[in-house]
Amino acid sequence: MGFGDLKSAAGLRVLNDFLADKSYIEGYVPSQADIAVFEAVGAPPPAELFHALRWYNHIKSYEKQKASLPGVKKALGKYGPADVEDTTGAATDSKDDDDIDLFGSDDEEESEEAKKLREERLAQYESKKSKKPAVVAKSSILLDVKPWDDETDMAKLEECVRSIQADGLVWGSSKLVPVGYGIKKLQIQCVVEDDKVGTDMLEERITAFEDYVQSMDVAAFNKI
Amino acid sequence: GEELALLEKALGLQSGNKYGAHGERQIPVLQTNNGPGLTGLVTIASYLVKQAKKEQLLGSSAEEKAVVHQWLEYRVTQVDRHSSREDTKTVLKDLNIHLEDKVYLAGNSFTLADILMYYGLHHVMVDLTVQEKETYLNVSRWFNHIQHYPGVRQHLTNVVFIKNRLYTNAH
Repeated sequence: MGFGDLKSAAGLRVLNDFLADKSYIEGYVPSQADIAVFEAVGAPPPAELFHALRWYNHIKSYEKQKASLPGVKKALGKYGPADVEDTTGAATDSKDDDDIDLFGSDDEEESEEAKKLREERLAQYESKKSKKPAVVAKSSILLDVKPWDDETDMAKLEECVRSIQADGLVWGSSKLVPVGYGIKKLQIQCVVEDDKVGTDMLEERITAFEDYVQSMDVAAFNKI
Repeated sequence: GEELALLEKALGLQSGNKYGAHGERQIPVLQTNNGPGLTGLVTIASYLVKQAKKEQLLGSSAEEKAVVHQWLEYRVTQVDRHSSREDTKTVLKDLNIHLEDKVYLAGNSFTLADILMYYGLHHVMVDLTVQEKETYLNVSRWFNHIQHYPGVRQHLTNVVFIKNRLYTNAH
């Protein structure tokens, strides 16, 4: 989580991308989450990052009421896209991920020793992360979802499948594969955390869309 | 008729108003107790907002009121006509550009413009493909926001917008 360094161009780009399809940092109303990020950003983002600018100007209009907005301010690393690493290592306004923040302090100044230890830990954490944490077992599954006939609206079918949300489930790319008689099946990739999502559950939820889905099969299953 | 009933509920009004429809294009008419009937979606909607004592939904400053009115007019003249697919695309493109730097149609505040545009566009949004929703990203963001606004969506279908964008990168 986290946006990286929100005072840098890279961090602002992450924020901009994140806000392209959202009005707020969290949920559908302005909250302390927006205030926390707003304060970290500090100044209006450049005009070409227009999603971030739109959000910035909007939150600015709530400045007078900011204390009364709902929610609780969390560390910056808790907000933002789930797949971005919290890289606020060296900057003085950084907030670490809870697991590796040994000293848990919000102070901007850190002793040399504490800083060195934290950077060491960060480097370890980052290298661990880049290998995909061994702790969490994941699988990449390719599913074949078959419609009733060649008149089934495949776009809708895809939408239904993608609307299935679960902790430990991430949908990937998909394509339509002709199977004959004008019928196309939807072949869609997903990555699941093994202990949270299984193919039984996926089958149950996909075939629940009875209007569109005739059946679902696992075309391929690979451990990651 | 149905839209005005939805609006009444969204505004927290008790339904009790009687609606009719006038002419070939079924323009809504509201029978008031003391006076002539009121004709026209925008007229009736503005009246209901005042009845509900929520005038801020019509805009605060003179400029905001004008912008709200502009979008209400747009809704009736551009969105409601029996539109071709091309016309609908134009509307979505216009809105997408307008919403690039705004959270709500009138800028920073939620107004009647957002409510009526949401109701007016619902049938369009329901049928968009995943790719189209991404093309009109700002409209999708705005629509997703409005449909989560308390009291607005009611029994209308929740339009799904997926979280992980597939097609983008050109913004």
